[in-house]
Amino acid sequence: MRHAPYELAAEFDRRLGDPSDAGRLFSHARCAALDDREEFPQEICRELDVLGLPAHYVPTEHGGTLRSYEEAVQLMRAVARRDLTVAIAHGKTFLGAVSVWVGGDRDQADALGAEIAGGTIVSWGLTEREHGSDLLAGEVLAERVADGYRVSGEKWLINNGTRGHLVCLLARTARDAGPRSFGILLVDKRKLDPASYRTLPAERLHGIRGADISGIAFADAAVPGTALVGPEGGGVEIVLKSLQLTRTLCASLSLGAADHALRLGTDYALRRENYGSLLIDLPQSRRLLALSYADLLLAEAVTVVASRGIHALTGELGVISAATKFFVPNLVEQAVKRLAKLMGSRALLVGDTHEHGRFQKVQRDHRIVGIFDGNSVVNLHSLVNQFPLLAKSYRRGTVDAAGLTAATTLTDPLPEFDRDRLTLLARGGCSVVQALPAGVAELTALVARGEVPESLERTAIGLKLAADELLAAIAAQRPAAVDVPAEAFDLAERYTACFAAAAAIQLWLRNRATVVDGPAGALWRSGLWLEAALTRLLGRLRPARPDGTDDVFERLVEPLVAQHEAGQLLSLLPYQQQEARR
Amino acid sequence: MTTPKQDTAATDTAATDPDAIRDWLLDRVAFYLERPVTDLRPDVKLVEYGLDSVYALTLCGDIEDEYGLELEPTLAWDHPTVDAIVTLLREMISGNR
Amino acid sequence: MTAATPGTATGLFADLDTPDPLDARFGDPTDPANPAGFDAFLAADERGELLPAGRQVVDGFGLGAEFVPRGLGGRLGQVDDLARVLRPVFRRDAALGLGYGAINLISSATVWAAGNAEQRRWLADVLLRNGQTAGAYTELATGHDLVRSRLRATVRGDELVLSGGKEVINNIARADAATVLARTSDEPGSRSHSLVLVDLASVPRDRLRFLPRFRTSGMRAINLGGVEFLDCPVPASALVGGAGEALETVLRAFQVTKAALTGATIGSLDTQLRTVTRFALERRLYQRSVADLPLPRAVLAGAFTDLLIADCLATTVCRALHVLPRQTSVYAAAAKYLVPMLTQDCVDELAVLLGARSFLRDGPYGIFQKHLRDLPVGSLAHAGETVCQATIIPQLPRLARKSWFATPPAPATLFRLDEPLPELDFDRLEITAKPDDGLAATLLDVEQDLRDDPLLGPLCGQLVAELAALRADCLDLAPRNRTPLAAPISFELAERYAIVLAASACLGVWRHNQDHPDPFLRDTAWLVAALGRLTARLGRDPVPGAAAVEPAVFAALVERHESNRGFDLVGRRLC
Repeated sequence: MRHAPYELAAEFDRRLGDPSDAGRLFSHARCAALDDREEFPQEICRELDVLGLPAHYVPTEHGGTLRSYEEAVQLMRAVARRDLTVAIAHGKTFLGAVSVWVGGDRDQADALGAEIAGGTIVSWGLTEREHGSDLLAGEVLAERVADGYRVSGEKWLINNGTRGHLVCLLARTARDAGPRSFGILLVDKRKLDPASYRTLPAERLHGIRGADISGIAFADAAVPGTALVGPEGGGVEIVLKSLQLTRTLCASLSLGAADHALRLGTDYALRRENYGSLLIDLPQSRRLLALSYADLLLAEAVTVVASRGIHALTGELGVISAATKFFVPNLVEQAVKRLAKLMGSRALLVGDTHEHGRFQKVQRDHRIVGIFDGNSVVNLHSLVNQFPLLAKSYRRGTVDAAGLTAATTLTDPLPEFDRDRLTLLARGGCSVVQALPAGVAELTALVARGEVPESLERTAIGLKLAADELLAAIAAQRPAAVDVPAEAFDLAERYTACFAAAAAIQLWLRNRATVVDGPAGALWRSGLWLEAALTRLLGRLRPARPDGTDDVFERLVEPLVAQHEAGQLLSLLPYQQQEARR
Repeated sequence: MTTPKQDTAATDTAATDPDAIRDWLLDRVAFYLERPVTDLRPDVKLVEYGLDSVYALTLCGDIEDEYGLELEPTLAWDHPTVDAIVTLLREMISGNR
Repeated sequence: MTAATPGTATGLFADLDTPDPLDARFGDPTDPANPAGFDAFLAADERGELLPAGRQVVDGFGLGAEFVPRGLGGRLGQVDDLARVLRPVFRRDAALGLGYGAINLISSATVWAAGNAEQRRWLADVLLRNGQTAGAYTELATGHDLVRSRLRATVRGDELVLSGGKEVINNIARADAATVLARTSDEPGSRSHSLVLVDLASVPRDRLRFLPRFRTSGMRAINLGGVEFLDCPVPASALVGGAGEALETVLRAFQVTKAALTGATIGSLDTQLRTVTRFALERRLYQRSVADLPLPRAVLAGAFTDLLIADCLATTVCRALHVLPRQTSVYAAAAKYLVPMLTQDCVDELAVLLGARSFLRDGPYGIFQKHLRDLPVGSLAHAGETVCQATIIPQLPRLARKSWFATPPAPATLFRLDEPLPELDFDRLEITAKPDDGLAATLLDVEQDLRDDPLLGPLCGQLVAELAALRADCLDLAPRNRTPLAAPISFELAERYAIVLAASACLGVWRHNQDHPDPFLRDTAWLVAALGRLTARLGRDPVPGAAAVEPAVFAALVERHESNRGFDLVGRRLC
């Protein structure tokens, strides 16, 4: 099977060349050296410009080449796989621009599209030093004056805050408290009086050391009225809708990091000997690797469904994006930690002793993904706020059947993204989760026909019971606006696991007949990857004592090695890697 | 280097019969190696069968429990074949050491 | 040298209100002007250098003497005291604590265990004058699999000739003495290696090469190097213990070092928890202090509980080296395995609370990311997770068969924090545990008294059920699953056993310290919280009502924070 977004990403990857070739601009060697010196990856970003990546941040209707967000995810994943600093430094322009795609008018969007295609860097000014994720406490003030706004105050921890040409700014347009007191201004720094703003020094960071995470402080900066995006007072709403897109897309960064770490781990396991055996032949090392592979495949499945959901289940994105932004980075964090155990000291060494110290870099870099653009707590809180709707919709079994089918069937064309369907209130709850019981019933029918093993059915039924129980507990939670009890966060975390399970089941059901060839085909046959994923999730939702019979992870090793040996990405779908095999 | 625990030392004839000790030991070794006992020879070094240092320590614990002795845990490091262990055990059980 | 008299037999609790002497020498960690404060350590970490001011504090305290047995003129008496003495160093900088501190125990313990009088005196002298030592045990190609290490020592006349390399060795380029593990026989197996104590200053320079420094993402300041001996002669008298005894010596000595290092690193966790507690009390979100929000309170109380669990296990295992020396092969491995894991999980939760500031290398909370980077290096150093599990696994079936539910409980001395212990005797440490698992038996003992307690009763019941299930599972293990090459199930059982031991340690510490000056430690709230955290790790359902202890735990945390006391079991005033 050839899947267009994967093909597009692989082609882009091919043009970037073999990262183990130090003569390529986007090489492992260069990324390690830049990280060491804390230097911005300027030449690599330029290479991405040359290869036309910026146009992929611009929807086709505004002159760019962004046809679907599923493509955007796989492209960013390919960049992130090589280096997270670069992905975050370059991809930021999409984040800066998205408020305009979501809330701007046609002329604004077309103009911004032309700028971006021409290499203009856009940053997103949301957070402030004292308020972090508490956007409604923002103090940067945009005071209305005759010909526009006078802006004062400081935004801090802004990606490309210094390098960005344009900054999409969330600013207070009214002094009274509340969500209607903010507007968005697309501020063109090039046109500001240089005396009216200054950029703050880049912070020194734990990971993505070369990135420009700085800030900008305005002092009575005169901004023209045409900079306003959407209505005055519409700022928070536009930002929250934009975050539904960006939080979903963030999963691409985690996937890229997981790709990178798993490849390093697999290489190591296939070459290193301990106790006289190759690591891949030592049962515990083999298990660490297989579990990480299972996690990667699950994260990938969730990301594929969520990114297609931007088009197909747009009205439910408030749930999907929060669940995805929590679940995928957390799962990948766990997988990377596990791989570090496999790699031992090689996971910690910097420099040339082992693979340019790439593993420790991935591990440090990836921590940012769970922090920015809404951290774990913010995303779980968002789900907690939606508990009453989620409980009700699950009980009723509400499912947007057409939307769900489109989101999960890879051979179906995706509908055009329609920004008007974005909503802060997912009235239908989450179709993916609400389709879990039906999905499990389908699996049961397949078992009856002998197409999948009974072990998969048992796991799936266990998950359905766990989901039923969870949603009952969610229904029983008393809504609390501020003093959200810690247990509610725990329930929300479990909800994301149910979401992941449900997404995986649907994805497998709708495509099992399509993905049949090669090493990837072996993953889909008999529901192998699905069983591994569901076993992991059930273990999380309903921990049981180990019984030594979980051989599904043993069965995963063969396709893992086969994909790796064939030079393919460790992935649900075929994708030829650029890196030379060793 | 090894001292039998006087109060619990096994003294019945079955325990001191060298053939019985040898058979029992070979059975244990076969168990750890997951090989038929008929594959094993008592005069071959355990390490050559792949019984590494950790198994050797574990085997020592088994012997202690079976014969009620307290032994140096490195017994099988210093007496590397089944025969060597049998000789040592016989001496200990009959009180010669 | 008057300030340092830690661990004197009279009254661990006597000095609770006077600042810890070593911590006082370091001064206020948060003062930017303090040459041994966090900012200075952060800057040194950036430079990849052990902070000179930090080294001065440590030298001024005479830390080297802490690693030398009292009989040789040093202050090494009780291992639990040693761990506590080291904590203030780890509170500042784990690189200084390991790379300029505990490393000296790792390199010398084998000599205390097996060296002759002359060797012991010589090495004691090196440490007593604050000299530095290196433990050249591992090689990059074979890692912790010492049986396969290759550097060799050959007898030639009255000399030993060393040839081969050791890599990723702490301190090697600046050490006065190095303990080198060398192959002395071609035979496979465990009698083919010997230890050699090398006076690096007296080695012919043309027979010695030093490798470039290895750099790590955490503990950037430690000096990891390597050495290559080129047919390098050393006197035959450099042999430590008998030929072929290295592995045995290492298996005994490393019980002491693993336990002490584990106990010492609790200082790092103290800093992480203190930093985030300070943040939560200072930071305002949604119009209130972060510390007033339920989730942050739960996270902080949970982290405090984890720290207490870690200290219960580490302290108990340190004391077991004196009280139950036949058992500590498995206990030390369990502590070195479980404590870093608990710490990592707990620090990850704290990082979420600290948010973006957990990612910044500067500012008032910049020390957090440093300790975060340091932690995995410390966890892996000197026996990582897998190595420790591999030590536990082969011992489980015998403990299950002969000891669990049969052995009587450990004596109260094991747990009584202020009770002096018998001398540490390396000769009494066994290289595999005997079937006398008194620590696990303490669970069964204390459980009997707690059956009627509405919270502790069910929690203990879950733990006893786990031990019973563990027993059945371990008896069932196939032979291949009783080795380091075991299937994953054995690794899971080793983890569960370590958790049960930690719970036993908590119960023992609570039961036998009812005269603790801090009423919080006499009360049951922390114990309920601790057993709740541990049973949750075992996948057991929460006991209804157990969460109600959280406010008491949180209040104690804040109280300790505000009175500037350590978060550990002793709770002494800091600087």
